[in-house]
Amino acid sequence: MMLEQIKLLMPEIIIATGICTMVLSSSIKIISSKLISQIIAAVTLMAATASAIFLLPSESQYLFDYQVIIDPLTSGLRISSYVIVLIVIFGTDVNEKINQNELFLIELFATLGISIICSAANLLIIYLGLEILALSLYTLVASNKHSIESTEAGMKFFILGAIASAVFLYGISLIYGTYGTLNIHEINSIDSTNTLETQIALGFLLCGIAFKFGAIPFHTWVPDAYQGASTSAALFLSTAPKIAAFALLYRILIDGFMAISETWTIMIQVLGILSLILGNLIAISQTNMKRLLGYSAIGHVGFIFLGISTGTKNGLESSLFYVLIYVLMMITAFMSLEVLSSKKHKVELISDLKGLNNSHPWFALIMLFVMFSMIGIPPFAGFFAKWSILTSLIDANMIYTAIIAIVMSVVAAFYYLRVVWYIYFEKTELSISQIGSSSLQQITVSCVGLFLLFLGLMPKPLLDFCTKIISSKLLID
Amino acid sequence: MNILSTIIFLPIIAALFIILLGRTKVRSGYNLALLVSFVVFALSLYIGIGFDPGLNQFQFIEQVNWISSFNIQYHLGIDGISYPLILLTTLLTPLVILTSKTSPKDKYHQYLASFLILEGLMIGVFTSLDGLLFYIFWESMLIPMFIIIGIWGGNNRVYATVKFFLYTFLGSIFLLIAIIYLYFQTGGYAITDFHTIPLTMNEQVFIFLAFFLAFAVKIPMWPVHTWLPDAHVEAPTGGSVILAAVLLKMGAYGFLRFSLPITPDASAYFSPFILVLSLIAIVYIGLVAIAQMDMKKLIAYSSIAHMGFVTIGMFVIFGLDNSLIHTEIKSLAMTGAIVQMISHGLISAALFLCIGVMYDRLHTRQISDYGGVINSMPKFAALMVFFGLANAALPGTSGFVGEFIVILASFQINPWVAFFAATTLIIGAVYTLWLIKRVIYGQTSNQKVEGMTEMTTIEAIPLVILALLVLLLGFWPAPLIEIMSTSVENLVNHIAHSKL
Repeated sequence: MMLEQIKLLMPEIIIATGICTMVLSSSIKIISSKLISQIIAAVTLMAATASAIFLLPSESQYLFDYQVIIDPLTSGLRISSYVIVLIVIFGTDVNEKINQNELFLIELFATLGISIICSAANLLIIYLGLEILALSLYTLVASNKHSIESTEAGMKFFILGAIASAVFLYGISLIYGTYGTLNIHEINSIDSTNTLETQIALGFLLCGIAFKFGAIPFHTWVPDAYQGASTSAALFLSTAPKIAAFALLYRILIDGFMAISETWTIMIQVLGILSLILGNLIAISQTNMKRLLGYSAIGHVGFIFLGISTGTKNGLESSLFYVLIYVLMMITAFMSLEVLSSKKHKVELISDLKGLNNSHPWFALIMLFVMFSMIGIPPFAGFFAKWSILTSLIDANMIYTAIIAIVMSVVAAFYYLRVVWYIYFEKTELSISQIGSSSLQQITVSCVGLFLLFLGLMPKPLLDFCTKIISSKLLID
Repeated sequence: MNILSTIIFLPIIAALFIILLGRTKVRSGYNLALLVSFVVFALSLYIGIGFDPGLNQFQFIEQVNWISSFNIQYHLGIDGISYPLILLTTLLTPLVILTSKTSPKDKYHQYLASFLILEGLMIGVFTSLDGLLFYIFWESMLIPMFIIIGIWGGNNRVYATVKFFLYTFLGSIFLLIAIIYLYFQTGGYAITDFHTIPLTMNEQVFIFLAFFLAFAVKIPMWPVHTWLPDAHVEAPTGGSVILAAVLLKMGAYGFLRFSLPITPDASAYFSPFILVLSLIAIVYIGLVAIAQMDMKKLIAYSSIAHMGFVTIGMFVIFGLDNSLIHTEIKSLAMTGAIVQMISHGLISAALFLCIGVMYDRLHTRQISDYGGVINSMPKFAALMVFFGLANAALPGTSGFVGEFIVILASFQINPWVAFFAATTLIIGAVYTLWLIKRVIYGQTSNQKVEGMTEMTTIEAIPLVILALLVLLLGFWPAPLIEIMSTSVENLVNHIAHSKL
């Protein structure tokens, strides 16, 4: 029986083994190289993905006395996050001086954290996963040791993150005080009343969730961390943790507090609209590409929150769909920046991309794909992401919210278009003539970029995937 | 593969090849682009053989399930309203590509590819019978047009293209909301289902306004027209041609395919409002056109004024009740609107090509820099004068047919509308003929004009073809009217039935 249960945790065990192997291999001088670490990380993640696919459960299953849950959502999110981290690992520049072995090690640790959050069924287990993830991310942001900005961003991120964790933990303790349990399964089954205590507790938990997503007003770390971190670190930071944030939100709000959904949907809606409006407005004035992507991420989180705030199954599906597409878009954007950077010259400012079409038309095209996808113009994946959110909003009769959302996406169009115009309409040659990226990176970014187009033409598999993993929980509707 | 899909995707696939050929093999890219666009034109003519104008339904239907969980289908088909517009698109693209040879540009392969992709998407808009598919084609079109104006445009191109993009994007995104709303009413995205679904007046008003924002910006109607002069002035010649000839027609096509049949009661309710806006476009924008110093801007404003006739033809019909005698007048007005769309497509395309010919020689668009062009380019001057007269609706040209039918029909419905619309015969003549006088005739004030060389064969071919078509439609519009008559009648009958 125990063995059966442990078998279901195979992906986490594989990752943990991978981490140990990497630590060992790095300490042996002869075989210590970044390439070896990259290979170990890639193999580990492939094995974890394979085991997650192989162990795909057909129904929910609780392990270890309701501490851990394995259901289609767990598997779906685990598989997506492993695949995404795998892409990130492929897209990381191993020749980069600042990227030491520990970059991959930290990323694997963070993946372990994400994986734990995806399968947690107890608030303390969730907290455990959350802290593994958060501590890895602080280190990741500060990992560029020679840069003052990186250290500063890491420090800011750490302080704010620590506060958010504390608030989250306080929320957990309030929940324990009110319900007498930390088990999400039991919280859900208790006939909970919408008292002031639960509302406050939920509010605290939401602060933690919003911080993880980077929603306004818990967003201040996002642009600083994106800008300060090295591009390889930002590549990870901006993508995989969002899946963890979705899992966190789903496990707590849907699995735990669906009965009092009217309390939290309104909170989520307010956060969503705020993020949408402010994130996009502030992004207009940015000149740094990574900062721009940071604020654009806040705007995207607004969309994701709006989908969740409907409180319907369609809304959750569309939010998950949006999260996955958002992650793919961010990966492509950051990876393009990394691919275009050379040892001498980092692509940081939007103006660094001037005339890209003259020197590297292929990567210019990939950037064009990403930018139009982020605006939500068909035939790119971003269009269907926005469409699915709008569909769920209109289904839930939230037409005015939908109108705010679309007006803000027109505002957002402006700053994305500016990137396109720097790339395409400037007659100057690119300041960087030589790009120093490996062919593996170039192939990866091309594949992900083309995949955005493919998803825009054939969104059905991904839509069905989201439907399948959400519909397993028919708690709502 | 079915023929409609072929004419949509053949140009797009060819565009990918041309991009892959790269900038080193521009010549073969040009030949390929020309070949493909002519093949597409031939195929669209071939459709005409199998097209039965008497059939009261969509033809050449293609229907494949695309996203079954949301009942989204890849659903194509044409009727008498969309087929002439497809012909217009497939005719103009090869002409534009042909003329682009004389002005070799930076990144020419991307230029050719953009036009081919644009062609495929435009045909997609005219053939889609699924709401979401329509929206996808409609919106994707912004990308190549944004690129065309932005890379190969004039000095102020970035401002113009961003303005164009944001304006049209803001308008059309409301269309998406309306389409999704209709999806929840009908359970699918089929446009024909949208046509038959009953809607309350409140719903109709909201849906109509959402549609109106999208289509009025595209046409463009006063007062949301301000993006057009900028976009036209800055766009390269080919971009202006496609923009004026086809993209503007999409707004009108949207009214015919969406607003009128889906929200007939709201359309009736708003028709006085639309008529007033159209008349303002005709009179006020016509006056604005007179004052222009830039040739392209003048033609751009004249386009807005001429599109006013299209919206008048479509919305004046609500001034009549539904008795049987009136159906004929309504059909007449609607026919006039569509003839005007095609005719304006030909004439404005020709005028922009003419300006392009002059611009390639003198690199200025200011009217004051010209004068006496007839001395150095007599053959060209003859064609330009002809198109100018057509633009001023001279009888015997297609410009006359469309405007005359619209005025004729609206006179029987509301003489005041006809009266104000008819002022265009004066105002249009003023701005066009004055333009011709200052540019073509008169003393040669600019030394450089004397040095202008006569147009080359490649420049002449498209103009001659367009001139012949303008004359043909002017003297014998019957074939065009016959193609659309059943569809128009069908549409008019459909609108006559209230959805309440």
